[in-house]
Amino acid sequence: MKRLLTGAFLAALATGAQAEDVTLQLKWVTQAQFAGYYVAQAKGFYEEEGLNVTILPGGPDIAPTQVIAGGGADVVIDWMPSALAAREKGLALVNIAQPFASSGMMLTCLAETGITTPADFADKTLGVWFFGNEYPFLSWMSQLGLATDGSAGGVTVLKQGFNVDPLLQKQAACISTMTYNEYWQVIDAGITPDQLVTFKYQDMGVATLEDGLYVMEDRLADPAFQETMVKFVRASMKGWKYAEANTDEAAMIVLENDQTGAQTEEHQKRMMSEVAKLTAGSDGALDVAAAEKTVATLLAGGSDPVITAAPTGAWTSIITDKALAN
Amino acid sequence: MSDKPAHWTMETFATIQTMKFVAGAGVGVAAVAFADPGLAGILGFWVIACIINVWVVRFLGDFSHWLAPVLFGATVLLVWEMVVAVYAISPVILPAPSAIAAKIATSLPILWTDFAQTVLKGAIPGFLIGASAAFVTAILIDRSPFLQRGLLPIGNFVAALPIVGLAPILVMWFGFDWQSKAAVVVVMVFFPILVNLVAGLQASERMQADLMATWGASYWQALWKLRLPAAMPFFFNGLKIASTLALIGAIVAEFFGSPVYGMGFRISTEVGRLGLDMVWATIAVAALAGSALYGLITLIERGVTFWHPSQRH
Amino acid sequence: MRNVLPVLTVLCGILVIWYAAAVWMNATWVHDQAERAGVTVTWAEVIPETMAQERPLLPPPHQVAAELWQGITGQAVTSKRSLVYHGYVTFKGTMMGFGLGILTGVLLAMAIVRYRVVEMSVMPWAVISQTIPIVALAPMIIVVSSQMGLTGRDIPKAIIAAYLSFFPVLVSMVKGLRSPDQMQLDLLRTYGAGEWATFVKLRLPASMPYFFASLKVAVAASLVGTIVGELPTGAIEGLGARMLIGSQFGEPLIMWSALFAAAILAGLLIVGVGAVERMVRLRMGVPE
Repeated sequence: MKRLLTGAFLAALATGAQAEDVTLQLKWVTQAQFAGYYVAQAKGFYEEEGLNVTILPGGPDIAPTQVIAGGGADVVIDWMPSALAAREKGLALVNIAQPFASSGMMLTCLAETGITTPADFADKTLGVWFFGNEYPFLSWMSQLGLATDGSAGGVTVLKQGFNVDPLLQKQAACISTMTYNEYWQVIDAGITPDQLVTFKYQDMGVATLEDGLYVMEDRLADPAFQETMVKFVRASMKGWKYAEANTDEAAMIVLENDQTGAQTEEHQKRMMSEVAKLTAGSDGALDVAAAEKTVATLLAGGSDPVITAAPTGAWTSIITDKALAN
Repeated sequence: MSDKPAHWTMETFATIQTMKFVAGAGVGVAAVAFADPGLAGILGFWVIACIINVWVVRFLGDFSHWLAPVLFGATVLLVWEMVVAVYAISPVILPAPSAIAAKIATSLPILWTDFAQTVLKGAIPGFLIGASAAFVTAILIDRSPFLQRGLLPIGNFVAALPIVGLAPILVMWFGFDWQSKAAVVVVMVFFPILVNLVAGLQASERMQADLMATWGASYWQALWKLRLPAAMPFFFNGLKIASTLALIGAIVAEFFGSPVYGMGFRISTEVGRLGLDMVWATIAVAALAGSALYGLITLIERGVTFWHPSQRH
Repeated sequence: MRNVLPVLTVLCGILVIWYAAAVWMNATWVHDQAERAGVTVTWAEVIPETMAQERPLLPPPHQVAAELWQGITGQAVTSKRSLVYHGYVTFKGTMMGFGLGILTGVLLAMAIVRYRVVEMSVMPWAVISQTIPIVALAPMIIVVSSQMGLTGRDIPKAIIAAYLSFFPVLVSMVKGLRSPDQMQLDLLRTYGAGEWATFVKLRLPASMPYFFASLKVAVAASLVGTIVGELPTGAIEGLGARMLIGSQFGEPLIMWSALFAAAILAGLLIVGVGAVERMVRLRMGVPE
């Protein structure tokens, strides 16, 4: 036990001493959703800044917030609702950059269920991801006045796994999909777009900010760490802009980094071209209006809000101001 | 150790051993105290707890049968509590046992709903269906040595497979509610029970079987009076293995889709929400449920196989 | 050898049932598609359709076999697309967990046989530990071990595997170390053998049959632990990770082929342990 703890201590010292090492924890498995970072690494953008970046893929049981709390990463990718909820739990996360300008999340329904507007959700079964991704959905439902606890007149919530089977097997009327991923799996499965009704969170006015870069607040006080993050954000955004302009090449770079070898070229190329649409509006700087709207959406959670008070200091522009200056 | 005088009793020897241990541990703790006083405190506590336990076992006789494990468990919990406090470990990494206990106390209704969904609706029905199916299959193939010879190696092999991997597939087939969880459990428990029971049915001794034959017992009489009872220790062995598998299966299956309650759902969701106290509370319930299931089977086994040497004390 | 015919018969039976089930289960999709397209289909048209879907509910055996063959021989074994490579990753994890499990099991068994206090206080918890579903603990093991500075996913994976595999070893070793009877122990005492000598010369050799009997169970448990460790807890590579990715991207063939690769690995591990056991028995001069 003692040796292990000492080891942890030494490891913590080591990361402090060599400030140019950066560990990035992704929110999910290696896929084009994170293409910008893989491109920045493959194209040497990080190296040009003098950074040695390690990219850790995520998975179903890996919470980026927990990884950074445990010192397993310097910077993590997370969705703002989940990061704000963690902040309320006492984990002081700060958004330093927001490569994704708009939300790619939507609810995809089978037209044959008769759903045409959100009001039709009542008494239907809806598939939702959990693990920190449920917050936007819960906020939306409580704004619609639909109970999610299974009571009459509300909606039945199903924790969907990692795929679109609940829709294909008709176990759910609607499921959560991302514009860049699951929606296309439904299409691939042989269902045509006109057999589907989709509700984009963006269009419904309940969009929350997705993939952003978060760091621990206390470390941000250290000028050396700030400097490293400036370099990291600058190089990452360069990676994103390159990926947007060269989607096919970016997808192939992602594929090369996929250690499971189970991802396909077809999926990743399509995902990349859809992700490019979401990152297109962002130069990395957080749109404060969008962040405030996220907070408002989350606070509007009725009886069971995701966060109870508007956060202070949950985002900062000090990194992006410097990163985008030159 | 071989140089000890022959006239020393075991007792003296053990006491000397304990003293050596205490002395050694004391020096060790003192050494650590210079580097890390907190750690020294924890180690010191551990050593004292160990010594208390040794004395309990030596002097309290029968009483110690349950006191020793309880003391050991309490020691582990206290050390855990101390480590969390001394090293100021964040509650989003490892909550202290006291925090977990507090969480359990305040979330009994949620824990009960989860327990009902996962254990009462998923694991136990699946376990019963799987066990009955295995029982019926074993009896059905009992009359055909050909089928037995064919099924047994395959069954043995399948029993060793990572059946958990079937969970996502079965969730796809049977939907997201408890039916798919029960299905995973059925598949997981079927083969271990079948293999054990088939082996058990072959366990009655030749001489006893001959005796049955000389009495003119029919196949069914011999099965009912001799071979099934003889197979019971094997059968219960299979049930015990399966009881653990049943819980694992029901929880894993919830990772791949579930309603918004259930122990697997709670664990995977609360990890994402940094509700680690809730995760550990659910783990505690799972441990309790697993132990209760195991204990129940052991009790039934005692009643059914009271004649077997392993049950005689 | 006399088992070959019955086993083959049963296997054939399984294949027939499998094909029938594949037709039955995959037919729904064909009918649904036909309905959406507004055409009617006859069974003669449905059956071939059910045999070659891209995302079948239950892939027929030949599709799984083809995918498995492609995964094993389709590329260099070092490629990330090769099942051999992922099988090796899982094998490595299994072996680490197996080793750790054996070590823990044997050491605990030694302590239990030597010290009554250890037996009384630890043994009940060892039993309880096995009733805790490992999948509930797996994410916690990853968190706590990364907190202790054990980054990387190999060690948490090995701990999960060891958690499942130490128990059979422990139980058998306790039985085995206690198997010498009083007469043998007395004989050793007349030779003036001390505790250590008795352990090395008598108890340890006597426990070997028990030890090997437990290894087959332990290696299978270790494989299950490794796959559970790869499946929901930060799967990056290995057969468990492929099952997860197959599930996420709705590619049942990837899932099934990983499942069968795991089955083959389990078979190889059990055969391997059996071979080592026979070798040791021969060396020790134990009659077959």
